[in-house]
Amino acid sequence: MATCGELLVQLLEAYGVDLVFGIPGVHTVELYRGLPMTRIRHVTPRHEQGAGFMADGYARVSGKPGVCFIITGPGMTNILTAMGQAYADSVPMLVISSVNRTEELAMGDGRLHELPSQRNLVAGVAAFSHTLLRPEQLPQVLARAFAIFRSGRPRPVHIEIPIDVITMQVAARDIVAPRNIPLAPAPRRAELERAVAWLRDAKSPLMVLGGGAADAAEAARSLAEHLDAPVIHTANAKGILPPGHPLRAGENMAYPPIHQAIREADVVLAVGSEFGETEMYPDPKPFVFDGKLIRIDIDPEQLVRGFGADLPIVADAGAALAEINRALGIAATAANGDTPGARRAAAIRQAAKKHWWPAVHRHQKIIEAVSAALPDMILVGDSAEHVYALNQSYEAPRPRSYFSSSTGYGTLGYGLPAGLGAKLAAPDRPVVVLAGDGGLQFTIGELAAAVEAEVPLIVLLWNNDGYGEIKNYMVGRQIQPIGVDIFTPDFQTIAKGFGWEARRPDSYAALGAEMKSAAARNRPTIIELRADDPWIA
Amino acid sequence: MSTERARNPKTSNQIGGHAAVALLETYGVDTVFGIPGVHTLDLYRGLAELGMRHVGVRHEQGAGFMADGYARASGRPGVCCLITGPGLMNAATPIGQAYSDSVPMLVLASVNASGDLGKGRGRLHEISDQRAAIAPLAGLARTVRAAEELPGAIADAFALFETQRPRPAVLEFTLDMLAAPAEVSGARRERKARPVAGAEDIARAAALVDAARFPVVLAGGGTVDAADELKAFVEKSGALCVTTTAGKGVLPDSHPQTLSGTLALSPTQKVLGDADLVIALGTEMAETDSWCERLPINGKLIRVDLDAHTLTRDYPPTIGLLADAKPVLAALTAAIKPGRQPDLARAKAVREANAGDLDQQQQKHVKVLMAVRAGLAPDAIVVSDMTQIAYTANVTFPLERPRCWFHPNGFGTLGYAMPAAIGAKLACPAREVIAIAGDGGFLFTVQDLATAVELGLALPILVWNNDAFGQIALGMNERDIPELGVKPKNPDFQALAKSFHARTEKPGSLAELTDAIRRAFKADGPTLIEVHEQADYLT
Ligand SMILES: Cc1ncc(C[n+]2csc(CCOP(=O)(O)OP(=O)(O)O)c2C)c(N)n1
Ligand SMILES: Cc1ncc(C[n+]2csc(CCOP(=O)(O)OP(=O)(O)O)c2C)c(N)n1
Ligand SMILES: [Mg+2]
Repeated sequence: MATCGELLVQLLEAYGVDLVFGIPGVHTVELYRGLPMTRIRHVTPRHEQGAGFMADGYARVSGKPGVCFIITGPGMTNILTAMGQAYADSVPMLVISSVNRTEELAMGDGRLHELPSQRNLVAGVAAFSHTLLRPEQLPQVLARAFAIFRSGRPRPVHIEIPIDVITMQVAARDIVAPRNIPLAPAPRRAELERAVAWLRDAKSPLMVLGGGAADAAEAARSLAEHLDAPVIHTANAKGILPPGHPLRAGENMAYPPIHQAIREADVVLAVGSEFGETEMYPDPKPFVFDGKLIRIDIDPEQLVRGFGADLPIVADAGAALAEINRALGIAATAANGDTPGARRAAAIRQAAKKHWWPAVHRHQKIIEAVSAALPDMILVGDSAEHVYALNQSYEAPRPRSYFSSSTGYGTLGYGLPAGLGAKLAAPDRPVVVLAGDGGLQFTIGELAAAVEAEVPLIVLLWNNDGYGEIKNYMVGRQIQPIGVDIFTPDFQTIAKGFGWEARRPDSYAALGAEMKSAAARNRPTIIELRADDPWIA
Repeated sequence: MSTERARNPKTSNQIGGHAAVALLETYGVDTVFGIPGVHTLDLYRGLAELGMRHVGVRHEQGAGFMADGYARASGRPGVCCLITGPGLMNAATPIGQAYSDSVPMLVLASVNASGDLGKGRGRLHEISDQRAAIAPLAGLARTVRAAEELPGAIADAFALFETQRPRPAVLEFTLDMLAAPAEVSGARRERKARPVAGAEDIARAAALVDAARFPVVLAGGGTVDAADELKAFVEKSGALCVTTTAGKGVLPDSHPQTLSGTLALSPTQKVLGDADLVIALGTEMAETDSWCERLPINGKLIRVDLDAHTLTRDYPPTIGLLADAKPVLAALTAAIKPGRQPDLARAKAVREANAGDLDQQQQKHVKVLMAVRAGLAPDAIVVSDMTQIAYTANVTFPLERPRCWFHPNGFGTLGYAMPAAIGAKLACPAREVIAIAGDGGFLFTVQDLATAVELGLALPILVWNNDAFGQIALGMNERDIPELGVKPKNPDFQALAKSFHARTEKPGSLAELTDAIRRAFKADGPTLIEVHEQADYLT
């Protein structure tokens, strides 16, 4: 015999879950009963928003869903923003919450933590939300969640369990192994043949890779090299082609030369990208395609949004690219230096670079010093000046190694907790968080969580004493700046008070050295750069 | 932050962003809490040009709680101004809290342009249906797509605040509306009156009161503006009176007929059970006040509330009046016969039994609470979080006036106290305001300590530190669940507060605690006062 709560953690473990983020409360204590009997680790944030962002960072690095245990009511409203960010960036996340007792649901009796309907609340930020009314339903509902994570467009899933159901006994026959999860679809033959024919005949093909292609890096690279096609990465795709690859043409879709190149290509193959507006910041404009557009996406709805596609293909990116490569007879190729495609890519790259604004040069230079010290690092960004800048220029060492909340939902406070989750997913790689002084304050309590979880994270803080980006916009639009020049606490002492190391390097060399020693340390470190530091160009 | 009113009538009505702010001014709004973003620039254009006070915060959750504290202290709606998507969702918890505690709160948010709504284009800050996401938490949620809709939408929100059980109202403004030229006349709509009870109903209720042998009044948050009427009724009727947490102080604790806010204690519940008439005014009679499955109501029941659902869903009344407590109390007092002697001996005995009901840990809390009380003026406002010491205070903290004790009651969230106290202090700068939070709850919204420093608020923040999510550790222990995730590693609170340039105190005795609080009210910024549960002077 087991309770529903105990069955839940057993099943999660069987699905490969090894980490759960949560703040226990009276409503969720029964979810914790079975945890010590599993190998699942529990990490406690200081606010449920932190739990959600941690789960997000963990998921983006590992490719596995991040899992949270959340209390009824305020716990759920606290995690909403994190679910919104994960929804917008297609991140797998499993939020398991309590809810009031079955017979109390929607009665409005003023119970502790009560809401009229938690499911209505999360409907807009979850693939689905389910109220578990019987413990026997659990295997099926969890299978549905994992089918979305593994074979659909990943998105947050919410399962709420009434507190009386959590403690219900499960009959032995209902204690079962996880169900088989179907594989994501591959393309149909007819579509595949058309795509292959178009690509084979293309004179000036171009590829746009989005976050959906992150797990198909090798196939994408082989195809690009075979087609000799320049490649544009979105922010979430960074690292699919390795740094310095001759076909790397652009690190987002922001600039006129990139729009121009997309327009002029006779075939554009876009894999796993929304063409979202935030990829085109600071000046989003609609794309024009003079040639044909092939789009591969796991989400059929995505393929009809925006400008649609001449050839929409609903399929898993990896499966589709593998089929295309097989049909084209591609074995392995080698990056060949001086090809027409490489020359096109170089031209796009150089023309785009002319559009970099000063901050892009500034932060690219800073990040080069950091990369030289920590070549295999994972960068996790908030919404701040250095993140917007590096979205334009940074070349990540491999996939799933650069992401931020500046895309899509665009929230603040993401960097620190998401970086913590990332580090838990990849303990052997250095993780560097890019946060501004404003964004870092949003979730500053998580400094304590990092110390407690013994996660030697590095935060690269860009301190410009306020909401710099918004101030620029206000000034730009002749609005008298209000609410942007905020009082900023002393981050060096804050960090130390929380048990972090804190450093203020005074040269690029010192920055690199501090990064190296921070990565070697077993405690987390804040490395603070100030916008008025004289050594920063 | 600009407080002077640099109003320029020529620019006051150019675009939707101005029109919204200009209209709010006519309703008496003078302060908004928020964080600007690219989506709200045009609202900020309105705020800046009309010179409305803007309080910049460090997380939108802080903005929401500040608006809540502002509203509870002043009785006027607290207003926040938030960006699309993450900005509004960050305030979801305060909105939920304000809903369950019936606090008037006006949330202004941007939302993507009309032509983008529901399209799923991957726009910045996009959410599939923002209105639907927030609606379950709000009393009213409306999308405003054109400036002409503004007067009606704002009037709707204020009608909710003024005439119904107050709830948060969310108005989302499309980006195109905020930026489009607008010519909106800036007059507020007439104030709406709350419903009153008809003469016949009052007569029926008065007859029940007159016929009762042992009437008891249960006064909820809906009575806080009717303290005089309540006192007159209680004295004329000879009823004993108990309050909910939200009603704390509405009858002074020094009054011989009061049982204070002890609804959760069994001696008080027994009094309710013995009453042949309970008169429940402006209260949900909710679990989070009684902490029992069902209050023993054995006699007749009169309920008075502004919300029809509250009157019908549980505890069906003998007479239910859909009306404001204040006029009902006045009318009832006039209609009833005088002469019943209050059972003062019973009241005294119950008060003593309640005091004896406390366990050792609670007695420790009471020691601290009495030292706090000694440091406060009679009209000081105490804002508490979800922490064990506040649960004890809910039933023991002595108060002489209403609107002096704020607690995140129904929704029961953490992180409420400090930001709500900031809001209360801004609403009532001349009064003393103190926040009481646990170590866990304090960290939920610690970043807004920076806001208190920036504003130079003389705000003591008492952190009740037991190095634990104490209440949950207790729950796990009681159920034989291994302790997991309830002993989080704490920062050094003194160093933490100092790095925010806040003052700190760590008193070494109860007397020093009282002094520390008094000093904090004279300071030019906030003071973190740390009291550890294991401190020597508490054993
Ligand atoms: C939850 C939330 N609130 C507000 C915003 C609007 N916003 C975007 S960037 C920004 C400034 C952040 O300041 P900081 O982290 O210091 O970075 P900086 O722009 O100064 O580099 C703000 C307020 C947002 N994106 N998300
Ligand atoms: C947003 C939210 N998350 C979790 C909870 C569950 N919860 C209720 S009380 C509590 C403990 C808070 O710890 P602390 O503030 O130190 O107070 P203590 O109980 O130790 O006095 C927790 C985690 C809650 N009420 N709200
Ligand atoms: Mg505690």
